Amino acid sequence: MFRNLILISLAVTLAFGQAKPKPAAKGAPAAVKGTGMAAKYKNLVFPPLRDVEIPNVDKFTLPNGMRVYLLENHELPLISGRALVRVGNLFDPKDKAGLADLTGNLIRSGGTKSKTQEQLNEALEGVAGSVESSIGETSGSVSFSALAESTDQVMGLFAEVLTAPAFRADKVDNAKIRERSGISRRNDDAGDIAGREFTRILYGKDTPYGMQQEYATIDAVKREDMVAFYDRHFFPANIMLSVYGDFKTAEMKAKLEKLFANWTVKRDPVPVMPKVSESAKPGINYVEKTDVTQTFIRIGHLGGKLNDKDYPALEVMSAILGGGFPSRLVRKVRSEMGAAYSIYSSWGANYDHPGTFSIGGSVESKSTIEALSAIQEEVSKLRNLEVTDQELSTAKNTALNSFVFNFDSPAKTLGRMVAYEYWGYPADFLLEYKKAIEKVSKADVLRVAKQYVKPENFTVVAVGDQKKFGGKDFSSLGMKVEKLDIAIPQPKQDKAKTDVGSVAKGRQLLDKAVASVGGQASLDGLKDYIQSVDAKMANGMSVTQKNSWAAPGVLRQDVTLPFGRIVTFFDGQQGWMKAPQGEQPIPAAMVGQIQQQLFAELLNLLRSNQVPGRTVNYAGNGTIEVSEGPLAASLVVDEATGLPQKSIMQVVGPQGPMATEVQFSDYRDIGGGLKFPFKSVVLQAGQKSNEQTVTEMKANTGLKSEDLSKKP
Amino acid sequence: MSNRLFCALFACVLTASAQNVADLEKRITEFDLPNGLHFIVLERHTAPVFAGLSFVNAGAANDPAGKAGIAHMFEHMAFKGTPSIGSKNYAAEKLALDALEKTYDQLEEERRKGPRADQAKITKLEAGLKGDIDKTFGLVDQDAFTRMVEENGAVGLNAGTSMDSTTYFMSLPANRLEMWFMLESDRFITPVFREFYKERGVVRNEYAMRIESDPQGQLVTALMNTAFADSPYHIGYAGIPSDIDNLRVGDALAFRKTYYVPSNITIVVAGDVDPKEVRALATKYFGPMPAGPLPPPIITKEQEQRGEKRVAIETDAQPMLAIGYKRPDALHADDPVFDIISGILSQGRTGRLYKDLVEDKKLALGAAAYATFPGGKQDNIYIVFAVPNSGKTIDELEKATYDILEKLKKEPVDDATLKRVKINVRAGLIRGLNSNIGMANALAAAHVGYGSWKKLYSQLDELEKITAADVQRVAKTYFTAKGRTVAYMSKSSQEAK
Repeated sequence: MFRNLILISLAVTLAFGQAKPKPAAKGAPAAVKGTGMAAKYKNLVFPPLRDVEIPNVDKFTLPNGMRVYLLENHELPLISGRALVRVGNLFDPKDKAGLADLTGNLIRSGGTKSKTQEQLNEALEGVAGSVESSIGETSGSVSFSALAESTDQVMGLFAEVLTAPAFRADKVDNAKIRERSGISRRNDDAGDIAGREFTRILYGKDTPYGMQQEYATIDAVKREDMVAFYDRHFFPANIMLSVYGDFKTAEMKAKLEKLFANWTVKRDPVPVMPKVSESAKPGINYVEKTDVTQTFIRIGHLGGKLNDKDYPALEVMSAILGGGFPSRLVRKVRSEMGAAYSIYSSWGANYDHPGTFSIGGSVESKSTIEALSAIQEEVSKLRNLEVTDQELSTAKNTALNSFVFNFDSPAKTLGRMVAYEYWGYPADFLLEYKKAIEKVSKADVLRVAKQYVKPENFTVVAVGDQKKFGGKDFSSLGMKVEKLDIAIPQPKQDKAKTDVGSVAKGRQLLDKAVASVGGQASLDGLKDYIQSVDAKMANGMSVTQKNSWAAPGVLRQDVTLPFGRIVTFFDGQQGWMKAPQGEQPIPAAMVGQIQQQLFAELLNLLRSNQVPGRTVNYAGNGTIEVSEGPLAASLVVDEATGLPQKSIMQVVGPQGPMATEVQFSDYRDIGGGLKFPFKSVVLQAGQKSNEQTVTEMKANTGLKSEDLSKKP
Repeated sequence: MSNRLFCALFACVLTASAQNVADLEKRITEFDLPNGLHFIVLERHTAPVFAGLSFVNAGAANDPAGKAGIAHMFEHMAFKGTPSIGSKNYAAEKLALDALEKTYDQLEEERRKGPRADQAKITKLEAGLKGDIDKTFGLVDQDAFTRMVEENGAVGLNAGTSMDSTTYFMSLPANRLEMWFMLESDRFITPVFREFYKERGVVRNEYAMRIESDPQGQLVTALMNTAFADSPYHIGYAGIPSDIDNLRVGDALAFRKTYYVPSNITIVVAGDVDPKEVRALATKYFGPMPAGPLPPPIITKEQEQRGEKRVAIETDAQPMLAIGYKRPDALHADDPVFDIISGILSQGRTGRLYKDLVEDKKLALGAAAYATFPGGKQDNIYIVFAVPNSGKTIDELEKATYDILEKLKKEPVDDATLKRVKINVRAGLIRGLNSNIGMANALAAAHVGYGSWKKLYSQLDELEKITAADVQRVAKTYFTAKGRTVAYMSKSSQEAK
């Protein structure tokens, strides 16, 4: 079909316009101003604009404490809603940066207690509906959208996602892979680099506002962390639910009461968002990027809050400096110098913490220094001279005459009401803002420019290629210059470096581990054992199993399940499996997996110093890496006592490689001078999968391998 | 870059439920002025605002040889004003602008002599040209046009150049309707190409920002450059830097004379307006626009491709992959089938590209398909765009993408999927009805592309008729190695271990 690619293409179309969204808009008088216009424009009389209808939002609180905002609108057969949650990535622990982002993603993509992500996808898109979730810096949300005809179905799924997300392990894994990919790509776009580094420097790279996720912090986030993070923040009293569209208010109210009747979780209020520490970081931060033909720049310092009394005057000031075509920066750098396509300024303000005052854009490489000096000059002019009458009226009229667009859709009124209540702003904030804009004078603009714009504190980030600056450099700008290193810290390697020293240390530590459980002689003396184990699965199911082992490595496992007994036999190379349904040899594809699992068994790893062809290597922090051909596992021991604490191995499952960790405790004597852990906790991809308790264990019973292969 | 970005990009404008169509039909009026200018008016009285959109049926594909970028340059110039808007003294400005052109002519004439050119004369003329440009600049009332509309409360003031068309649009408070007509007609009937040579630098900088400094821009440009040999689509939206650097006012005038004629323009007004008033204002302000002959169509057709083409881009950026398959223009009977296929491949989270490449195989960070690229008026390409996960290679991703396309050929798509795609297309249009500017664009594009805005809805009938066999046949016919072009970028990076 024909499609206007301007609106939907791969971001390659050429939209001529402002580089930045304009400040929230504002309304008022008529009469075209300006110079050089023919009389007919001046004489144009505008009829009065009819009043906007401000819709009435129904507000109430559900018995569970969830606040609800309903706005009926029947223009189209559509319905949408959003649960706004007080949470944010500001709550990320420093060593787990990315936790909020991952949690926000997985609430939807990790499926629910009763449905996988795929089942949700089919159910929702089968009726052209959607449910999505995310957590940003200072809020999180779960939202839905549906055709009115499928309201019940989509809202049911919405409630399920909101109240019972499952964080399924395979999706956790997938989301982390994508986070890592995102990290690997974060230095591809020069504009992104400039914006990101500017923000991080201003807020402080180690603060919640400035820190960023790294491979290591993503790796550190475990499924339990996400479950706990969700659990702490997603509860009814912490949620504002708004619903908009084609429904009847009374019916919707009843529907919501029913939908959330059983969700009665109570938690303490979440903590307040952290404060911003304000300290200037003046200077130029240069990031070298050679594959661009422009320099991407950001200049500025911390800004303010939306409810600062001077915010309206600062908005007018910023509009005059760089808020659109008629602004000084666009005129100078774009129209006059022809050196940029995108150039703007913005007085950044947030509801609860300072935003950033920034001047930004991208200028042709050869004009970088000229553009930066031109910007310096414009800032200086702004702070020393009053703006002109025309500039003031253009900025104010632009804001006031477009004020009506704050009301062009009833949904905007609903969104604003929720935002104001979330941040504790007065309901008439916007109207007061409009009144304040009307009052801004030239003297006000000069006063706020002097008071709030501090060129001596400017942080500059410039991303580009200094070699293309036409022989000029930053020195003429009179600022301290520093080269910024944005190299992405690489993740810890899976395998530690192997050298003579680390191998010797590994073998030494392994000897110590062997000694701690009874010594080499006791280990060598073990010819067989029989153990009974109670295994408790994460889903609460319990199974009893009997493991029989005979040297050199023959294993039989009898597992009792509610529906019968499963017996598995494996002699190291092959085996069989017998279940109530029948019997089969162990498939060739599974042999490798079983070998890997047996390789990671504690007693096998402990024996490694005596097995020719095995590599034993010390990898730091009590970790001994053991490998033999394709088989590999690590044993983590207490360096002081030598006692083995856990084993770790990578298992390649249907969802790709996954770490399996077995934590040992409760060592007891099993005879022959040997100690064995009677308790093991098994974690898969960081998620607890089962807990095993040995109820009985006998060593050297005289068991023969042929006894083990007998079929039941 | 998140997968959701890719999901959101499949926004299809087709059709709504019968009730909405009937309702819409009542709210739409159409008329032609005697000079051939077509108007569509959509009444939507939700709020006292409206959107005005002018749709010119010419775009980058119409750039003449050696002038690649003129359609886009022209679009920029449409914001520079008229004799009565944007000048401090138009009589003096006109003289200065003419003088400037004369100097530039002399300079070009001398330069054309090549090795025999008089360098001293060139240097002198260059200095003269610079002086002339400065002189004209002194007579300009900068940004008068944009300042005027913005002061009057315009939001979303913008324009865009695609391969096939150029659009100009903004939203205004409803009481500014007459002002909009005044300004819009003035810039179409009597544009002044002031500040042309400074704006040329801005256009060149836009190229630097969107193509040269953007890995994705480079990739898509390379895909077009490679896939098309004859078609004007081979250059891409943004022109060619060396052409841009040499564009002249005369080129813009010639382009305007050919393509900016009333019969080649459609204007849509959508919002809180009275159709009778719109008609009266249209007649008053656009009536005087002189009629002109319909511009000649592009006659150059892409010849049949005889084998796979591949292009690799060397870049510091992480890899991305774009695969294009030759397909016929948007008026071809198979056109709606391609839209259905895009639904099957990249609708939301159920699309096969997301499900298979992103969720199941974990090969991609994101993937999406686009039925028509870079435009629909000419034979074009169906494209699949995919971004590999860190540690995954372009090769793996490419192979897995082919597996998905092969499946379309081998197995008929199941009923549930077909139904799901169709309902989502329908819902997409209902959602689009929410926006004045979105509707204005959809109505204009349907009128120009298919001959009537009603095609927006009649297309639903065609779409409903599409069967699993159609999907299979179209996949087999077009998704062949012979008609394929693959563009990718790669680097041996340490992150991609």
